[in-house]
Amino acid sequence: MSARRVDRVERLTNLLALLLETSRPVTMVEIVGALVGQYPDGERNQRAAFERDKAALRDLGVPIEAKSELGQGSPGRYWIDRRAYELADLELDGDERRALQVAVAAVRTGTSAGRDAMWKLGGSAIGEVGTVSAVMPDRPELPVVRAAVAGRSRISFGYRSERRHIEPWGLLLRGGFWYVIGFDCDRNAQRTFRIDRFDGTLDNVDVGPPGAFERPSAFDPRNAFPADPKQIGHSAADGAVAVVRIDATRAAAIEREVGVDRVIQRHSDGSIDVEVAASNFDAFRSWVLGLLDHAVVVGPPDVREAIVGWLSAAAAGSSE
Amino acid sequence: MSGPRNAEDRLARLLVMLPWLMEVGEVPLAEVAARYDLTEAQVQTDLELVAMCGLPPFVDEMIDVFVDDGLVFVGVPRLFTRALRLTAPEGFSLLASARAAMELPGADPEGPLGRGLAKLARALSEVGLDTNVGSKDDNAGVAIELDRPLATDDLAEAATNGWEMAVTYYSPARDERTERSIVPRHVFVDGGNWYVVADDDRSGEQRTFRIDRIDTMTATGRTVPSADVVSTPAAFFDDADLPVAVLRLAPAAHWLLDRYPIRNQVALSEPAGWIEASLPVASSRWLARLLIRLGPDVEVVSPGDAAAEAAELASAVLARY
Repeated sequence: MSARRVDRVERLTNLLALLLETSRPVTMVEIVGALVGQYPDGERNQRAAFERDKAALRDLGVPIEAKSELGQGSPGRYWIDRRAYELADLELDGDERRALQVAVAAVRTGTSAGRDAMWKLGGSAIGEVGTVSAVMPDRPELPVVRAAVAGRSRISFGYRSERRHIEPWGLLLRGGFWYVIGFDCDRNAQRTFRIDRFDGTLDNVDVGPPGAFERPSAFDPRNAFPADPKQIGHSAADGAVAVVRIDATRAAAIEREVGVDRVIQRHSDGSIDVEVAASNFDAFRSWVLGLLDHAVVVGPPDVREAIVGWLSAAAAGSSE
Repeated sequence: MSGPRNAEDRLARLLVMLPWLMEVGEVPLAEVAARYDLTEAQVQTDLELVAMCGLPPFVDEMIDVFVDDGLVFVGVPRLFTRALRLTAPEGFSLLASARAAMELPGADPEGPLGRGLAKLARALSEVGLDTNVGSKDDNAGVAIELDRPLATDDLAEAATNGWEMAVTYYSPARDERTERSIVPRHVFVDGGNWYVVADDDRSGEQRTFRIDRIDTMTATGRTVPSADVVSTPAAFFDDADLPVAVLRLAPAAHWLLDRYPIRNQVALSEPAGWIEASLPVASSRWLARLLIRLGPDVEVVSPGDAAAEAAELASAVLARY
């Protein structure tokens, strides 16, 4: 066989065309015979090259079907189901395609997946970024967890060195982090996990068979855990509330942050008293100390004492 | 796109390029290159290659395409008339971007983005990438929140029109409020916080401001058009000129690693579970504030005077009690 030097793109294109066009599943020997001179000589080399091509096409998302006839040693047969290969026609109008393209340009995710998707939908790489944009964190686990949410598959993953098994109900991007919310099969309760805190790589996430559970009707990830980060890890019913006086420098900003309905008193010097959840004390302390001398805890006494104690230790720090 | 391209990337690009070329029939080579982020030479090489592809017993000439005098011509479409289906990461990314864009100021749920998103969700649902479309529960288990401060919409409008705004801004680095005139150029959200990139009269430079730290804002009535397109700064708070602090963090302080642009981090064997990390520091006052918040969960390796400054600041806060 003459050793014409063949560009691998040409061989891959021909292989793809053959698998799409064939009217019946074909064997590797038939494929090598059809792609004259494009595979190396010798069955071992041909097998290795063919496996590499098959993997490359599958990596691109090409659904190559395979079956082998009954009995050991019979050759595998391959084909592509055209309906599974082709993108369904979304019937996008021109303005809708442009709007999606602007969305992809306006949202930076750190991967090219959105751009690649737009190309498939007939869009272009030329993104007109408007005056508003978003940076969205990307995690390799997201498409996998999302598919599990959609397919109702249980997932398990490492989290703080422990194996967790959950029925994933939904995904939420809040405060710049992706969370998965679901039913924790070991704890027998609803739990929330930060996806960037999963241990290890994507290989460490296992996905079970689909249809394994029912999601509660009308589940909305947005309502699944408290909006106030000072409440995370505690139920709202715990209810510890502290009163904090905010001086005039920061009053306007804090009023916007906690909401006008949390302002319980306004003073003539421009300072305000606000009610703030303190049930997650670590989060509360970090927040109030971040305001430095612009904030003073008024009460309750035990919360005030805890803050004074912390500050006293910090003030004594240098004399150790 | 630069550097050598592997066969997989070239084929992937061809498979999106061909259906589009077959639809338009004839198009300048330069336009194809720009559209698919390639050089003209790369487009020409790859198109000439696929024109050579063929499987004599099955298909003689697969793709009728040629390049002449800077124009690409495509004849009768046969194969590869339709793009490959979306992969799961592509479907997720597109849907998430579109949902995020719906949360941005000025988004219209009834507009083209809303309609395109609905069609996309329906199509993804048919291939099992999405569910519950059309039911009441149509977030399909994915929700995106980009809650923004009230001033964001006005700043976005000012950026669109080049309006100058007089603002009072709280700077945590100096712990003071300043009055300045800014001309907003770009508004963006990152890590849950909203920022505005603006021409700043105080520094005479383009600066990035956190919107929730703008206390008051009024339009001055001046309009300052901008010639440049401004977008998100690549790394807006990791400034190479900033001094670096080295801190040892207890597990309770590891949230810091997610929140700030850490340069280096090393797990320590002693004390177990602690991590030593370097992070850029905007000001010594900012570092002192961080140390007070972390309390016993942090040890300062450097700079040497940081612990004393933190103790002094803690005394000042304590004096208010």
